[in-house]
Amino acid sequence: MAVAGACLAGCTQQPATEQAQETHRLFYITLALATLVFVGVEGALLWAIVRYRRRRADEDEGPQWHGTNRMILLFFLIGTVIVATLYPFGEITLARVEQNPQSPEVIDITGSQWQWSAFYENEGVVVSGKSFVRPLVMEVPVDEPIHIHIVSNDVMHEFFVPAFYFMRNAMPGHPNDFTWTPNRLGTFQGQCAEYCGLGHYQMRFVVRVVTPTDFMAWVKQERKAALSINCPQTSGASVHITAHNISWDTNCIHVPAGTQIALTITNDDGGIDHNFAIWNGIDTAHQFFASGKFPGVATRTETIPTLQPGRYYFQCNVHGPAMSGVFIVGNPPSGQKGS
Amino acid sequence: MSATDLQVDERAVRRTSSPVMGMVLFVAGEAMFFAAFFAGYFQFRSQAKVWPPASVGTPEISIPAVLTAILVTSSIVLQLGLRAVARGRVATFERLLLLTILLGVCFLALQAYDYSQLTFGIKGGIYPSLFYVMTGLHMAHVVGGVVLLSVVGAQTLTGQISQRHHEPVEAAAIYWHFVDIVWLGLFTVYYVAVPR
Amino acid sequence: MAITEARPVARPEPFGRRLLSWLTTTDHKRIGILYIINSLAFFVIAGIFALLMRTELARPGQQLLSPRAYDQVFTEHGTLMIFLFIFPMLAAFGNYLVPLQIGALDMAFPRINALSFWLLPVGGLTVLSGFLVKGGAGASGWTAFAPLSVQGGAGMDLWILGIVIVGVSSILGAINFIVTILRMRAPGMTMFRMPIFCWGVLTTSLLVALAAPVLTAAMVMLFADRHLGTVFFDASRGGSPLLYQNTFWFFGHPEVYILILTAWAIVSEILPVFSGKPLFGYRGVVLAFLMIATLSFTVWAHHMFVTGAVELPFFSATTEMISIPTGVLFFNWLATLWKGKLRFEPPMMFALGFIGLFLVGGIDGVWQAAPAMDFALHDTYWVVAHIHYVLFGGTVFGIMAGLFFWFPKITGRYLSRKLGIWQFWVQFVGFNLTFFPMHILGLRGMPRRVADYAANRGWTGLNTLETVGAYIIAISMVLFFVNVFVSLRKPREAPDDAWGTSNSLEWATSSPPPPHNFDRLPEVHSLRPVRDLRLAAQGLAGEEGSS
Repeated sequence: MAVAGACLAGCTQQPATEQAQETHRLFYITLALATLVFVGVEGALLWAIVRYRRRRADEDEGPQWHGTNRMILLFFLIGTVIVATLYPFGEITLARVEQNPQSPEVIDITGSQWQWSAFYENEGVVVSGKSFVRPLVMEVPVDEPIHIHIVSNDVMHEFFVPAFYFMRNAMPGHPNDFTWTPNRLGTFQGQCAEYCGLGHYQMRFVVRVVTPTDFMAWVKQERKAALSINCPQTSGASVHITAHNISWDTNCIHVPAGTQIALTITNDDGGIDHNFAIWNGIDTAHQFFASGKFPGVATRTETIPTLQPGRYYFQCNVHGPAMSGVFIVGNPPSGQKGS
Repeated sequence: MSATDLQVDERAVRRTSSPVMGMVLFVAGEAMFFAAFFAGYFQFRSQAKVWPPASVGTPEISIPAVLTAILVTSSIVLQLGLRAVARGRVATFERLLLLTILLGVCFLALQAYDYSQLTFGIKGGIYPSLFYVMTGLHMAHVVGGVVLLSVVGAQTLTGQISQRHHEPVEAAAIYWHFVDIVWLGLFTVYYVAVPR
Repeated sequence: MAITEARPVARPEPFGRRLLSWLTTTDHKRIGILYIINSLAFFVIAGIFALLMRTELARPGQQLLSPRAYDQVFTEHGTLMIFLFIFPMLAAFGNYLVPLQIGALDMAFPRINALSFWLLPVGGLTVLSGFLVKGGAGASGWTAFAPLSVQGGAGMDLWILGIVIVGVSSILGAINFIVTILRMRAPGMTMFRMPIFCWGVLTTSLLVALAAPVLTAAMVMLFADRHLGTVFFDASRGGSPLLYQNTFWFFGHPEVYILILTAWAIVSEILPVFSGKPLFGYRGVVLAFLMIATLSFTVWAHHMFVTGAVELPFFSATTEMISIPTGVLFFNWLATLWKGKLRFEPPMMFALGFIGLFLVGGIDGVWQAAPAMDFALHDTYWVVAHIHYVLFGGTVFGIMAGLFFWFPKITGRYLSRKLGIWQFWVQFVGFNLTFFPMHILGLRGMPRRVADYAANRGWTGLNTLETVGAYIIAISMVLFFVNVFVSLRKPREAPDDAWGTSNSLEWATSSPPPPHNFDRLPEVHSLRPVRDLRLAAQGLAGEEGSS
């Protein structure tokens, strides 16, 4: 038991945010108090077992005394004192962890079955994982408060980074907000902690805490990657796209200008809703087209109206940026968005 | 060594009104059951900007008012019946019990008619969800109450209910009053305490 | 002590008629035995599920169970253990013992008692039948959080139906206990002369009667969302997943006290018998039970700290307050042992093990009571460790203590002391080996309910250790069933007062008791009527008045 206790003390991770340091401290304050209670009670128990075992041939009863009201009151008081000591520590830590300072860095995290995506509001960058294939990899600058706004597209999820000593539910319809201030460079594993169905155990992500310079370089690279997506134009006026494992089979569709497009959607995900929608861009300010939402396994054909030549953004409105790509009409110069 | 004669003990057991106490506890649980739905109702109502939602509109109060009158009357009638049987007037009790059951059936029929007049279905959002499930569960309890009262009626006809032995009537009455009170709650939150 | 008269030995009846008499019985003792058999059967099934999970998790990568199978197995493990083993097992003790301890002939409503038993296997098999339908059994965890539980196929519907059936069974049972205890006590058996076990059952039953209907409400909403087109939990159409959690946990937190209170009462009953002393603070323990029961209705949202949608300081405060009366229980148990004359029979060993292990479950819960700390530990293996220290280290050790303690009363035969002691040590070691490392895994960030984990997270070694521990627990359970089997083949030898130092009325009648419980009831003048009888037989005066 002592070995186990010592291990408990030595097994915590090194905290990687300012908030985590507070929680980490609280862990040890609680551990100190808990050790006191543990040793006291188990010690008394062992003492009683060793000291008060009945001697052989002693058939008499034990002493027939029982507790006075004063003793019982004392028992209640001891507990009250311990709790009253502990409670303020917890509340102080909570207040520090829950602080939401003004922050220029705002990231919208979206959870869906079974992947995460992150939209950097100021940078206009979106990064996403792919169910069962690869986790979301997101970078954040060190020593800066990061404001996170988190929501879910379907069921309850939970955004959990052990080294940050923090998790928060991603819920449909009830967005949550919190702040991290990472203060240690490194790569930190994260994972969904609220059981969310079949792919729960694989709903992983990675947070890289980097220097501000590295962060800017990463943003630039992600932007470039998003803009440089290109693909050959389809020959006819029809497109076929397949949803499988909460992913599209392509992240780029290029159709000729000046014509309606016959769109065939195949949904391979049994029981899961998907649709196909075309927007102006990742900020989803204006929607140009949205197909009906339908569960798999099924195939449907719809017609996309004639669009101005340009670069558009497409996604499944149920799963958001996690199922998205570029929709190119005609041959616009690279980087120009549809109006 | 002295010991208690079991005969005495048995008499002590028979004197108690266990069915009544059991029913009180059961009704307490039922109250928690409905409380869960009322809690949900108030949570959603407090968050809604417009309640009832525009798609539903202000509910028509006339039929529900009649429903309320029917149930309250039935409770009073049943209570009079209980008093009658407690004073030994079993024949009066039989008539009053029959009247209570008939009022219960009237309630069910009129409520079914009221449902058919509604302009919104159960799938129309959170208000219809709450409305149909809460009133539907209450309706199921009225059906349960009618069955319970009918069982008591059958017991009366076979001579099992008398001035001395009328705990089943008392227990059934507690249940019936409870169903009545739940309706008053529903009537208040869905028809009275709404902007008109 | 001529409490039971000698009666002629009945001729054994043919098997068919004996079976029928068991199936149609309304005798609380036989129903109690049926409860025990049924609970242990589900315990074995759920235990096998646990072994399947531990085998799968021993190494990273998929070996035994596909993720789809794993999800079903962990869901049914929790569901069966909680709803069909622990709760009915405690109700089994209540059924068998409450009428005996208060000197009644039977429960207040014997036929309802039979009904609430028979609903249990029906409900349990309904849940399990999900394995036979397309898509498999319910796989949303025992908490069945919406909107996940709105997904899923027919297995989920069977799960909901099974839970509602078991819920009805427990509500009827609880009402029966309360009325029995309040109305059917023998003359002289005042409320404060009732054995502490009856107080445990009474408090538990109050919680069940008031909390279980709320679970039914949650199940009704869930079913309506799945099949009637309502949107209680659908945020995109005006509902809220928080409604499910608030409703479920309003039941769910009293539920965890439902699962432990009777075990506390069993231990409080056993410690005095084997210490040769009265319970240190009888009224203090009763007061603690009632305080805990009341507070348990105010702490549900501590399961929802990480939703960011609850009043954190309030629920943190109520949660920590519950540890005050719980601490009182510990002080009372220790003070009962203090300066006593301890006899280490198997029931006593399991009771002492209970104190030692439940303490750990009590302490590691304190971390989670502080919201900031909970943000780091919630939904990790820390929580799994916590609930198993409470429900296995606590309740299951308490149940074992109770089984060893009352087995001679129920069957007239003692369970083997030697095998019992072996079982205790094997179980104690296996338990700690399985569940203590889960604390560390939790601190290292391993989430619960995962079908697999990455090899590079440093979780592998501890997981392997836990799997070894799980098999050691399984060995201890085999020892238990062997013990039961062997003991049942021995002749009846247990006297009325099987342990020689017992206190409560069930020890005044024969072992096993006659169908009508008592031929003559001793007069009850104190908390310990059987001790009074013992002293009277030695020509000494017993306690006068209530303690």
